[in-house]
Amino acid sequence: MSGSLFAQGLALGLLAGGLYALLSSGLTLYFGVMRVVMVAHPAFLFLAAYTTYFLHRVTGMDPLLTIVVTVPLFFVVGIGIQRLLVSRLAPESLAMMSVLLTFALALLIEGGLGVVATGSYRSITVEYATSAVRVFGVALPIDKLIGFGIAAVTFVAIFLILRVTRFGKALRATIQHPTAAMLVGIDTNRVRGIGFGIGLATAAIGGAVLAIIDPFFPAAHWDYIGKLMAIIVVGGLGSVQGAAIAALLLGAIEGVVQVSAGATWAGLIFYGFLFATLLLRPQGFFGGRLAERF
Amino acid sequence: MRQIRRHRPLLASVVTLGLLLTACGEDDADDPTAGGNDSPGDSEETPTGDPITIGISLPLTGDFSEPGKGIQEGYETWAAMVNDSGGLLDRPVELIFRDDASDPNKVVSDYESLITQEEVDLVFGPFSTRLVIPAAGVAESYDMLFVEPAGAAPEVFEQGFEYLFYAAPAIASDHYNYLAEWILGLPEDERPQTAAYAALDDPFAQGTAYGLKEKLEAGGIETVADEVYPPGTTGFTAIAAGIADADADMVVGGTQFEDTVGLLRAFQDLGYQPDLAAFSTGPTLPEFEEAVGAASEGVIAPVGWSVEADLGANQEFAEKHREVHGKEPDEDAANGFTTGEIVAAAVEAVECAEQGEECQRALADYIRENEFDTIVGPLSFDEAGRPQSAHMILQWQGGEIQIVLPEDSEVQTADIQYPKAPW
Repeated sequence: MSGSLFAQGLALGLLAGGLYALLSSGLTLYFGVMRVVMVAHPAFLFLAAYTTYFLHRVTGMDPLLTIVVTVPLFFVVGIGIQRLLVSRLAPESLAMMSVLLTFALALLIEGGLGVVATGSYRSITVEYATSAVRVFGVALPIDKLIGFGIAAVTFVAIFLILRVTRFGKALRATIQHPTAAMLVGIDTNRVRGIGFGIGLATAAIGGAVLAIIDPFFPAAHWDYIGKLMAIIVVGGLGSVQGAAIAALLLGAIEGVVQVSAGATWAGLIFYGFLFATLLLRPQGFFGGRLAERF
Repeated sequence: MRQIRRHRPLLASVVTLGLLLTACGEDDADDPTAGGNDSPGDSEETPTGDPITIGISLPLTGDFSEPGKGIQEGYETWAAMVNDSGGLLDRPVELIFRDDASDPNKVVSDYESLITQEEVDLVFGPFSTRLVIPAAGVAESYDMLFVEPAGAAPEVFEQGFEYLFYAAPAIASDHYNYLAEWILGLPEDERPQTAAYAALDDPFAQGTAYGLKEKLEAGGIETVADEVYPPGTTGFTAIAAGIADADADMVVGGTQFEDTVGLLRAFQDLGYQPDLAAFSTGPTLPEFEEAVGAASEGVIAPVGWSVEADLGANQEFAEKHREVHGKEPDEDAANGFTTGEIVAAAVEAVECAEQGEECQRALADYIRENEFDTIVGPLSFDEAGRPQSAHMILQWQGGEIQIVLPEDSEVQTADIQYPKAPW
């Protein structure tokens, strides 16, 4: 493999890692705040991609502009799902039952998309996103750069919400110790609902990004859930920064494997890292001492 | 997550057509005067006499129901045309359909019962390699001629079948033959020196790309990249990066629709500009231009049949198809029609259409030894039933599909553009 191809694979992998980081931040929120394993997160990502697609086709809106519609919509849907479904699950078996519940949601979304939009691939081509910037001979596709930028901005915004705002403090308190948080007067139910809404809003943003960078079809979300689960375990469950670092790292390795060993092997590296993490450091590599185990 | 197959008993029941389309045919079957109606002068009239029954099992439900229905329509159009023009051997044809629900076990019992219970005179093939092989096994054991409209994968022809013929221009690995010939016919200094390949991990898709690869390598065009990706892949940029890095003069995709679009967009992203770009399947569909926009310009693909082509009875077929089904024919329908054309020509020449080794073997031998003028062009077959022709080569020019190869043929609609415009 030539040096330039290695650099190209690394660059593409890092850019893909940006989207992974954005998506895994949502998963981390669900798990951190509520101990909910949200298997349907990528299904919502594809629901958002399809919403973007149809908004773009029908109204002629710029696909990236559609997030003005999808983000509030998904935020509200997220609160609704938490209030109406997730909060009804028994707290002692929440992690396990939430897998079942969100698995059902994922199937519903996939089936619904199949009925409405058929199983064939869709893609959005935007004129400004079909070229690349060249840096030292490495091509950085504009659409992927835009996607990475949006993911980075969103990620920083979530990080700031968690660190700076009063709501963020309440959310982190709920993550660390729900009972203690209630004792100091935090309405943990409200915090959980909003946390879920924010998580789903990241899927809405991810969907708009996905729609312009890759073709998509309803069943493709299964490919993502495995990767994202691996990322949040490697990163340390419940740690937003840990998930971001793991996402960029695994994305970069995936990119390099893809250009060297081929696409068939690239999908495996996520699971390789998942196994290695569980064997060597089950609490994840970046989560710190508060990180949870599955 | 595979969809659950639903068996629909209603659709699975026997559907008879063809004869029923010609209103008086049924009555005449018992008419004592009917048998004497064999003077050559009135062959254009409604055929009378015992119908020639043709048994067909098709996937009308399940995974392959889309192409299955397309082929059924092609068969129906063929039967309607035959009956309009005097029938076969002055007898009307009657098609008996069974629905195999895309199930290889069902397809076997369908042909068993069509041959033994319905005692059909002839059988036509079903759809797809997965169903063609078991079905052909049944036909073989009853000594029935088995001309099939689908099943282009190499293994179909490696089973030692003596009665099987594939009624389309070429098997997968021969799809690009005209392109290979044209490229290797270019002067040394003009032709591409290096080639890159990307293929979906699927026997048909890989077959098309690797058929061309073999011929180009033998002709001295170096392979500088060869990527294979699993079905369901959605991210193509890294796959494309390997090819862009090799900067080959030409790129070949063994693809379906979605990966054609994904690869092409990734090449655009990476700024890779080959002189020649060929993809299987994807560019043959009208949606292609919609998906990639102006980047379609100059893209090449092999295509087995074209509604515009003035080959054999193609225009009559298209017209009749619109009349019978109220829609444009597609390639599946055309393959079904071609199957009918070949069997009909053999039946007329051998002058028999009945069960039994004597007649069926005579039909098979006739097909093996002769060339047929069909709607996909002249067709002939080798010992194993492989068609000996090649696909036409199309190129997108100014937002339209043009047939560019073979050169100086009646199907050519424009000259090939090479090198292609940047995308």
